[in-house]
Amino acid sequence: MVSTVQNTDVKQKDSDHAVVVAVASRAVFEPGAGGGDGVYAEGVAFPLLQALQKVNERLLEENSAESLLFDIVLITTDSQQQQQSSQLISSTKHYGLEVSRFCFSTEEDFSESLLKNNVQLFLSTDRNEVSQTSQKGVLSALLDEYTASCPSEQLRVLLCGDAVIRPDTNPTPASRQAAQSFSARLGKMRQRFGMSDSPLSITLMTSCGGRDSCGGALQTLRSLGISADEAYCLAGAPQGPILSVLRPHFLLSDGFSGLED
Amino acid sequence: MVKMSLDPVQVMSGQVKELKVAPSSNGDSRGSWEEKEEFDQDHLGLTSKPIPPKPENAVTIAVSSRVLFRTEREQKVFEQKGVEEYLRYQIEHENEPFAPGPAFPFVKALEAVNSRLRELYPQSEELFDIVLVTYNHAHVGIRLINTINHHNLFIERFCMTGGSSPIGYLKAWHTNLYLSADADKVREALAEGIAAATMFMPEKLTEVSQSQLRVAFDGDAVLFSDESERIFKAHGLDKFFEHEKENEDTLLDHGPLKGFLEALGKLQKKFYAKGHRLDCPIRTFLVTARSAASSGIRALKTLRAWGLEIDEALFLAGAPKGPMLEKIRPHIYFDDQMFHVEGAAEMGTIAAHVPYGIAQKHNAKQNTGVRK
Repeated sequence: MVSTVQNTDVKQKDSDHAVVVAVASRAVFEPGAGGGDGVYAEGVAFPLLQALQKVNERLLEENSAESLLFDIVLITTDSQQQQQSSQLISSTKHYGLEVSRFCFSTEEDFSESLLKNNVQLFLSTDRNEVSQTSQKGVLSALLDEYTASCPSEQLRVLLCGDAVIRPDTNPTPASRQAAQSFSARLGKMRQRFGMSDSPLSITLMTSCGGRDSCGGALQTLRSLGISADEAYCLAGAPQGPILSVLRPHFLLSDGFSGLED
Repeated sequence: MVKMSLDPVQVMSGQVKELKVAPSSNGDSRGSWEEKEEFDQDHLGLTSKPIPPKPENAVTIAVSSRVLFRTEREQKVFEQKGVEEYLRYQIEHENEPFAPGPAFPFVKALEAVNSRLRELYPQSEELFDIVLVTYNHAHVGIRLINTINHHNLFIERFCMTGGSSPIGYLKAWHTNLYLSADADKVREALAEGIAAATMFMPEKLTEVSQSQLRVAFDGDAVLFSDESERIFKAHGLDKFFEHEKENEDTLLDHGPLKGFLEALGKLQKKFYAKGHRLDCPIRTFLVTARSAASSGIRALKTLRAWGLEIDEALFLAGAPKGPMLEKIRPHIYFDDQMFHVEGAAEMGTIAAHVPYGIAQKHNAKQNTGVRK
């Protein structure tokens, strides 16, 4: 059973052109933490949401009729949170988050509801959730505790140029396609801004291959219409130290390798 | 006019054995390396090239694109027409490799040392690791990779920060030495405790060795702290001599490049251990204005106490450094005073400025002018 509630505080986006991003409400608000005034505390994905909003804001500044915007959907499967749906909605409004609608779904219907809502990217802190939706062909990325320390004024997206970064995600042709088309739209958004002072930053990273692997990935991105701002070629060096300086909000790991067919 | 002949084939042939180093022999596998085992060697594209060492085991040299290559024309486009035009220009000329810059001979020499180290210690990760760290945008990435390929350099790691400060990445790479054309970035690095120096392109370049890495250091405010220079600047030469004599047995405090000299010394010992003391492919020089019989003693005692063996120490007692450096032909010479850096460059020596210590206040006031 899926139910959708529109956020009346927010202008609805043009569904044909907007980039629908679904975020698990558990990531946006601290689960279970109820303040005295009935408002949830901020979760790890809070800066991420603010960054998505910042991009929209700047896109509309450049062109008030812009339709290539992020369309943010909050999705809840947790039955407990569903009971507190009104609190969820009022918390969202309290923080002035630009969430277009709220989706309440059961676990079984979850991936279906994402596909039905034309979700182009799903973000969650739950590894199993992300793995499941990914296998169903929905581009998904895992958020972790580092996401909380990312900036809120600039959306930083990391594209991984090596074919497999996480051993537990199996890139299917469908998910690869989803990654490429999402990133291509991201690339288009990026073009709306100049080189400096962009609210959106796209970074390429290759972990294992040498420079030609990275060069190949840059070429692949270019063919998709994506101009990366930053590029890092690790050639086997540990990712951790580099990621903690980079501070991307999330990583997309399939579809950018230059070594693929 | 670039006099040196940098034929990559000449440097590498006869010295390189293409060794396939299996991942498991590189020490214990930690969490972040587990994924590597899933990889087929072929996927890495490194089947015929040695695998780069782990950053914490290697002596990491970070170079910026402006010192590794010559990018004056592109710099001009950037300064005169702005960043968008600059990037467009770079992409337009993507298939034109850059010419070698001031750090190029140094990097080639590092690679020559690596070849010798790999021959003697095939399983060791104690090697030089060269990382390109530039605040260029990734748009320039393909041109830089094409250039590295063209010159047959062994650089597999890079950071293109797209305008953000590279300092955080220098730390993440356990950088032992950072070379850049930008004095501000160099100062930032020094403030973070990373050995760093600003490099300039000399008008003419004298030929340097292709088989032996030769690194020369000034003493005060480079290997040692600037305490003695402070005395000299504040109270003059006589007071300086007095102070040095009185404190002969007190060690000087360390300067920003001490760690780098130490790293070189460690690698030298590896050659000595295999009977290559006389033909060691690394040679270090101290070129100081101190005097052998007096103020120089404190310098030598300090080095000895630190356990650092410097191969040749030249005490010039105030004589100009240019002619001596011209004889030494180092791949790089570190000095804290622009006056000496320029003097060296005039005679074709590749000199790097370490903007550290009391001399910097005087550098700002002096209008030494750029002598062409």
